[in-house]
Amino acid sequence: MAKQVDSTSTGSVDRREFLKGAAAGAAGAAGAIVAGPASAQQAAPANQRPGVTRPTEADARADFVPPEPRVDARFIRHPSSDYMVDVLKALDFDYVAVNPGSAFEGLHESLINHGGNRKPEILTVLHEEAGAAIAHGYAKAAGKPMMTLMHGTVGLLHAGMGLFHAWCDRVPVFAIVGQPRNPTSVINRPHSAQDMGSIVRDFMKMDDEPTNLDVFANIAMRAYTIGLTPPRGPTLLVIDSELQEAPIPDPSKLTIPRLSMPSIPQGDSGAVKEAARLLVSAERPLIRTGKLARTSAGWDRLVELAELLQAPVDVGGYGSWQDFPSWHALYGSGGSDYRPDVILGLEINDMTPSVRAVRATGGKTISICSEYLSQGHNIHDFGNYSEVDVAIAADGEVTLPSLIEEIRKQSTGNAQRLRTARGAQVAAAHKAIRESEIDTARYGWNSSPVSVPRMVAELGRQIQNDDWAIVSGHQFTGQWQRRLLNHDKFYRYNGDSGGFGIGYDTPASVGGALAHREHGRLPIAIVGDGDFNFVGAGALWTAAHHKIPLLVIVHNNRAYHAEVMLVQRTAARRGRGNDMVDIGNVIRDPAPDYAKIAQGYGIYAEGPIADPLALGPALERALARVRAGEPALLDVISQPRGPT
Amino acid sequence: MKQRGFAAVLASVVVASGVVAAASLSAQQQAEPVVGDAARGKPLFSDTFNCYACHNFDAQSGERRLVPLNYTQEGFITFVQNSPLPNMPAFPDASPQQLADIYAYIRTIPADAPALREIPLLSDIQQRKTRAAAD
Repeated sequence: MAKQVDSTSTGSVDRREFLKGAAAGAAGAAGAIVAGPASAQQAAPANQRPGVTRPTEADARADFVPPEPRVDARFIRHPSSDYMVDVLKALDFDYVAVNPGSAFEGLHESLINHGGNRKPEILTVLHEEAGAAIAHGYAKAAGKPMMTLMHGTVGLLHAGMGLFHAWCDRVPVFAIVGQPRNPTSVINRPHSAQDMGSIVRDFMKMDDEPTNLDVFANIAMRAYTIGLTPPRGPTLLVIDSELQEAPIPDPSKLTIPRLSMPSIPQGDSGAVKEAARLLVSAERPLIRTGKLARTSAGWDRLVELAELLQAPVDVGGYGSWQDFPSWHALYGSGGSDYRPDVILGLEINDMTPSVRAVRATGGKTISICSEYLSQGHNIHDFGNYSEVDVAIAADGEVTLPSLIEEIRKQSTGNAQRLRTARGAQVAAAHKAIRESEIDTARYGWNSSPVSVPRMVAELGRQIQNDDWAIVSGHQFTGQWQRRLLNHDKFYRYNGDSGGFGIGYDTPASVGGALAHREHGRLPIAIVGDGDFNFVGAGALWTAAHHKIPLLVIVHNNRAYHAEVMLVQRTAARRGRGNDMVDIGNVIRDPAPDYAKIAQGYGIYAEGPIADPLALGPALERALARVRAGEPALLDVISQPRGPT
Repeated sequence: MKQRGFAAVLASVVVASGVVAAASLSAQQQAEPVVGDAARGKPLFSDTFNCYACHNFDAQSGERRLVPLNYTQEGFITFVQNSPLPNMPAFPDASPQQLADIYAYIRTIPADAPALREIPLLSDIQQRKTRAAAD
């Protein structure tokens, strides 16, 4: 048991000094402070010289190779990291993703022992990229951010890709990185940086490094509010290790700031009125959505707007969130004969294609988008400047109620008759499209490997009586999830990565599944084999360790298949033949056995499954495990592409 | 509908490039059309030319269906060597013999598109989609 010393004591003895003291036979002073070594000394063999403890090889190695305690072996009654945890608790986090690192061991210890490992509870992650992606997927499904903690420099670099995706997807992630500002070991020197935040600054809404506890509390509140104000994004706090460890001089002088969330900017009333006028007078309005609905209320308002106008809703391809029911008669762009004369873009970064589409016929475009409020940044994900007719710098979701109200005010009986006729036309086109899609799904129905439509349809059969949620993106299954699964609720689909990098889907699905766990929903991910190979297996261990139910279907085409096609086209264009294009693109010879990998992480898994007749029973078995509260994986050998 | 669109493009390419293609064929080739061998065509489809990459191993559940392939061998060869489609590379170096082999292989692949009534799972989805759209 260590002797307690006053937290303001400066009489510290570090390990190096202690060993030096021991070698000089002055163990008494050191032993009075640290009882452990002294006891060991007392138990030393009798043939050793009294009063002298020879450092063992391990001791000597430990003297030069960290981890070594940055702060002395003093007992610290009120470490600053306890206060940091109190501040973070005020932000109501449920979870914090942690891959441990000595740069935040003070905060780590306080989360466990001072915070009781509750709100936030630590999720152990095996890679910082997985931690950031879990936080990303969780935030979209839960509607609130998660924290992620990273080691100085190295942890932040690992997390970079996950944070980048959160940025591109406009999703808040509350990131904290430890900073050994005054490193005492050779190992921690590279983990310290003059400007730690600069490592990821190009894709963070803000970063800052507090210099004292008052500033920490201030910056924590700012990071939270800025991260959640559209356009949303990840934020970063850089926390000096010594600040975490330092004793609080006078706890009574510290207070926890009250969280004061700003209201989200709505569209200017005059501009909204003009937008409503254009939409009411339009003959063929079209609604296009990007990352619009953050909440089920936003989803409901979009349905209300579409039905009010009887206008089709094009949710776009990859990168968007699910904003509109996928089997609704107004889902889609209205068919090939529907030529819009007014296009309303809701959180569409780049309206240029819409402007181009209506310009020739004198049509109009309206854009309601929070991206107008964004400050300049390095990543070119904001799209082109667009010559829209009405540009409203505001959040799309919170502007919808006033837009709907204004449309109702301006609507006349004639406008309503027009809408009824329009709705019938759009519904007829929708019927033709959905019949064509089902017809297409028949092709290769019995093929082995399994066709993409069959894989999705077999899944749909198994979950039709569950309250399910697809927590992965759909980038590699085309539109087949939306075509064959009824996305009839806001939470049915959690969206793609935003940045189109590989490695998001599996860990983000774990985060989404975690958010759905408390609602008893059945989370499912369909991930590419390429994606799974990044940090997916380790992310599944996190799901197993924390008992997060999730079915992962590996859509395994044994390749980075899009690149097979791209290199093939390039080779053909250059007249160089196609027999070499697999090089660097395929994942064969040997073909990884993803079921075995998952089993190695303690997860129920089956595969490889190439026979379509075997898929249904395998899904049934795996889903039984997921419904019982655990993760499961199926490795499905699939045809490389789904029909378009 | 997509198949018809593809067919139309294929037909136009066959017509448009037929003269050129015919002129490029040797007198012997014109006199003796190559005879395809399905066994040789399979590895050409799956490996050498990586046709599977877009058309899938079954040649029918990918981005463009090849089964059933209702075109003449000559039309197929001409199209593949001169494809004008942005997503379909032209293969000018593929020999008529190789393409005839691939053609023969594709022709051996049975069409696998059961009628909707024979796939209860899909017809059930069709009905549920119709109900959802009507709600």
